Amino acid sequence: MNNLRVFVSSAVFSFRAQFNWLSPSMWLTMKFVLSFSQMAFFVFVGIFSGGGASAVSFIAIGNAMQSLSWNTVFSVVQITGQDKWDGTLPLVLATPANRLPLFVGRAMVHVLDGLVSVAISFAFAAFVFGVNFAHADPFALAVTVLLTSFTMAGFGLLIGGFSFHFRNPIVFANIFTFILLIFCGVNFPFSALPRLVQPISYAISYAFPLTYGINAARQAINGASLFNISPILAEQIVVGLLSIAMGYLLFESFERSARKTGKMEAQ
Amino acid sequence: MPNTLRVIYSAFRMAMLYWMADPQWIIPNVIAPFVFTAVAFTLFNAYEGSSGPFGLYAVLGGGMMGMWGNTIYSSGFAISFEKWQGTLEEVMAAPSKFIHVIAGRSISNALFGLINMVAVFIVGIFVFKISLGIYDPILFTISLLLTLLSVSALGLIFASAFVLSRSAQTLTNGLETPLYIISGSMFPIALLPFWSHPLAYILGPTWGIDAIRLTTSQQYASQTFWTGMGTNSALFLDLTVMILITAAYAAIATVLFKMVETRARTMGTLVEA
Repeated sequence: MNNLRVFVSSAVFSFRAQFNWLSPSMWLTMKFVLSFSQMAFFVFVGIFSGGGASAVSFIAIGNAMQSLSWNTVFSVVQITGQDKWDGTLPLVLATPANRLPLFVGRAMVHVLDGLVSVAISFAFAAFVFGVNFAHADPFALAVTVLLTSFTMAGFGLLIGGFSFHFRNPIVFANIFTFILLIFCGVNFPFSALPRLVQPISYAISYAFPLTYGINAARQAINGASLFNISPILAEQIVVGLLSIAMGYLLFESFERSARKTGKMEAQ
Repeated sequence: MPNTLRVIYSAFRMAMLYWMADPQWIIPNVIAPFVFTAVAFTLFNAYEGSSGPFGLYAVLGGGMMGMWGNTIYSSGFAISFEKWQGTLEEVMAAPSKFIHVIAGRSISNALFGLINMVAVFIVGIFVFKISLGIYDPILFTISLLLTLLSVSALGLIFASAFVLSRSAQTLTNGLETPLYIISGSMFPIALLPFWSHPLAYILGPTWGIDAIRLTTSQQYASQTFWTGMGTNSALFLDLTVMILITAAYAAIATVLFKMVETRARTMGTLVEA
């Protein structure tokens, strides 16, 4: 019961904490502006490159799914940065609370926030860029988005855990939010990447839960059922859970090192 | 050296020293334009249904986006940083004009944004095998410097608004991509809906990127009002319009800074805003 309380408190506080640097009205504006502008940018580049309606659809769906990484990766990593910046990290580490629910809870409201981002982005994809959802399997798509948001929050915790060891986590928040655009099949299939980087990008892409999520979402929008895409989602869950476990180990190693060396914010 | 220039130079130098003391901050500023450019390169390579100066658009657009990103981000951060450190009051209370301090910082930020252009050049040449040549290096340099000044002047207008907002940094994140789109950094503005064209034309860098492309390739035809004109005439008109717009930005920023400063002093909301 106590662990559940820690989990819920950690989840609620981590979400509320972002309004320290973001007003609620700005949060809402950003949800619409960021989702739309990023999608529009790449759709226009795709059109200029000579890609037709299928390219527009491919790009719009990819960017709609990627929009949740702002919540599940950027915001989750930012919690680490804020803890260091505001000097609250020593207080967090001084509490007797169980570290696992404390650590995992941080990302959980951002999972729900990510769902809202994807819903808004899908609306833009359908009504502004004409993506056809007529054949979509709504249940399969909803499960895919939920699992992608959850597993990407796990990925956010992994990067957040890694960032504890550095002075400026926002650097990692930026890098890992943006490189998803290259390695997860958001805007183009892997085969479009230059041959020189293809072997590395294949290896990297399957470490990101988003890769599986985008693939499954495209199939669900084309009519695939949950049963059809379940193998992809199973792989995604494994990658997501591994990310959470690795992030937690990194968090623990940071705590041990911080207690030993007395360095917390300065690292 | 006149007093104004000395203040601008000192602020420029201080901003440079900040960056050098903590160079990791370059990453957040250039990562978005760099990744956007890499994606654009790949998309241009992926679809062969169109012919056009894609390499030119991608490389120069990427550099332009670097300037945009760095200037907008840093305009917001310059103010937020002062607020966090509690030094905004001291800077505003100094006898030097606040706008001159921010101008020096804004120029240094745009200059740092050029780092992205170098990175994009390297990736374009070695990874994407794009052959790039500059048709007129002198005019290219002049166009680039004038564009840099125009982006910096626009940064001043943003910075004046950011003095009054707690969400300056968030606003910068939200402004970045819409500005990449509207200024036609990576594709012709003709692709955008017609209602957005006036917005593109009031941005100095829209004219700047057109001028830069004209100085880079003889095959490039102006994408602004000067379609069909000779390269030199179009270039001259692009630069003239951009200089006029930049002067207007500077004038507007001066008035805005005065208003914002007066309001902040009257209301006592300098840091709490």
